[in-house]
Amino acid sequence: MLKVEDIVAAYGPIVALHGVSLEVPEGSIVTVLGANGAGKSTTLRAITGLLRPKSGTIEFEGSRIDRLSAEEIVSLGMSHIPEGRQLFSELTVLENLRLGAYSRFSGTDGGSRLAQREDLSPLGRLQHKLFHAATGGIRDVARGIRGYRQRRQDFEAALNQVFDYFPILAERKKQIAGTLSGGEQQMLAIGRGLMASPRLLLLDEPSMGLAPMVTREIFEIIRAINKSQGVTILVVEQNANLALEIAHYGYVLETGRIALADTSENLRKSEAVQRSYLGQ
Amino acid sequence: MEEFWQQVVTGIATGSVYGLLALAIVLIYRSTSVLNFAQGEMAMLTTFVAWSILQWGEYWVMFPLVLVIAAGMGAFIERVIIRPVEGAPVLNIIIVTLGMFAILNNVATWRWGGIPKGFPAPPEIEVTGIRFMGEGALDIGPTVVSYHDLTILVFAVAIMVALYVFFQYTPLGLAMRATAQNPVASRLMGIRVGRMLTVGWALSATVGAVAGLLIAPLILLQPPMMMGVLLFAFAAAVLGGLDSPVGAVVGGLIIGVSENLVGTYTPKEWLGPDMKLTVTLLIIVVVLLIRPTGIFGRRAMRRV
Repeated sequence: MLKVEDIVAAYGPIVALHGVSLEVPEGSIVTVLGANGAGKSTTLRAITGLLRPKSGTIEFEGSRIDRLSAEEIVSLGMSHIPEGRQLFSELTVLENLRLGAYSRFSGTDGGSRLAQREDLSPLGRLQHKLFHAATGGIRDVARGIRGYRQRRQDFEAALNQVFDYFPILAERKKQIAGTLSGGEQQMLAIGRGLMASPRLLLLDEPSMGLAPMVTREIFEIIRAINKSQGVTILVVEQNANLALEIAHYGYVLETGRIALADTSENLRKSEAVQRSYLGQ
Repeated sequence: MEEFWQQVVTGIATGSVYGLLALAIVLIYRSTSVLNFAQGEMAMLTTFVAWSILQWGEYWVMFPLVLVIAAGMGAFIERVIIRPVEGAPVLNIIIVTLGMFAILNNVATWRWGGIPKGFPAPPEIEVTGIRFMGEGALDIGPTVVSYHDLTILVFAVAIMVALYVFFQYTPLGLAMRATAQNPVASRLMGIRVGRMLTVGWALSATVGAVAGLLIAPLILLQPPMMMGVLLFAFAAAVLGGLDSPVGAVVGGLIIGVSENLVGTYTPKEWLGPDMKLTVTLLIIVVVLLIRPTGIFGRRAMRRV
């Protein structure tokens, strides 16, 4: 479903990823383990277009996405739940969830609207773009009217689904997000990501700053999301124990390079992983 | 006593104009942290455009037309002038808006000349026997209110309600609030942040244009007409808290009323009406000493 091949990414002159490759098969949970600063978050940022890789390719469901913007990638069916949750902390819980569904209601239909036509000549590409710019507005409005009721229903369905997973969010609908507890905030962040009904969910350290009990609860829900809805999940974690428990496959990232890649069962047995990440 | 109420009512009317312009400033500041010093000149320019349209058209044909032109101008300025300096140090952006201030001022003088022109108030409308707008004054018991002051109030309230509904209940308004708070997370939601900023500038220029159209009948149309208004609008925005739309309006009203009362009741040996700017600014200094972020402003703590 997702195929990352040999990507190099840098913040200014500082290279954070020296050729990372990984693969996420459809329907699976894949985890990327690693210490602080190993490049875990950077990998996710490169996949969702927040950081443009210097080289390498990223394929999502067979088409290249490494040159699309973050806004376009989201509307392809990928949700990124960023490090530190990044909630809209001054908005209510419900408003946060509504924003999660924003890509349903906006015209950003990355797939059909701004297709990268690599097959055309530069002049042809310009014509293609001009044509889309000229007709885009009209088509947006037409599509908006036609699909509104459908999207409204999808929105309600997604909202109910999120409230099924996290009943506490339904109780706190009107509460300002910044006043939730840490665990509730993480639940809201995941719920917000689910509102777009993604086929691939990218999770950045869901355990960060949470009590062990809460972390376990959240991991159980992540597993449930994968099982019952068939959402493919790529989860980046420092808590290797829990991550390997729910994941099917794992990668170990060390200073911007993939050091190990194996099934989670084998990784758990591996001496290197046990020593560095499982604290045994 | 009648004089007192008279001054209060007039103060509320001019205060709403300050409030509208302050609102325009806040709309931009909240989403981009840019203090737009050209806000008043943008409003002045659209008022001149309105004057030109009025040479061949009706007031109520001109009105929506000018709002559309203002929105276009705001969007254009954001795209062409502000976008390239986005991310530059704050001082650079301030200098850019100051430059825009000078340019717009010169453009107006060059195109329309420096001689003050009269500008009409919205003409009379009658709905089921009740008269709105137009010339003259209305007796409301303790005092009389000019129809134009009433018009200003009605417009100001209508705009504030419309903006509230827009930001609170529409997806686009929600997306704009989200962008102002957390641009990165907004992008992950699929919100085109750049487009939201453009819409914000367009909206702000439109609100400013209404302020210009409403104040012009009171102070004559000429290139420097908005300078005083802009000063009071900035004061209103700071007083209310630069990131609070409600604060901008309340600040505008406080300043409008106090300006009028000070102008009327300061004894002659204390410079009389000339004291109004000084006393008004003094009030602001005192309020800011007590609440440095303004009356409705949030504490300046921000998590990064």
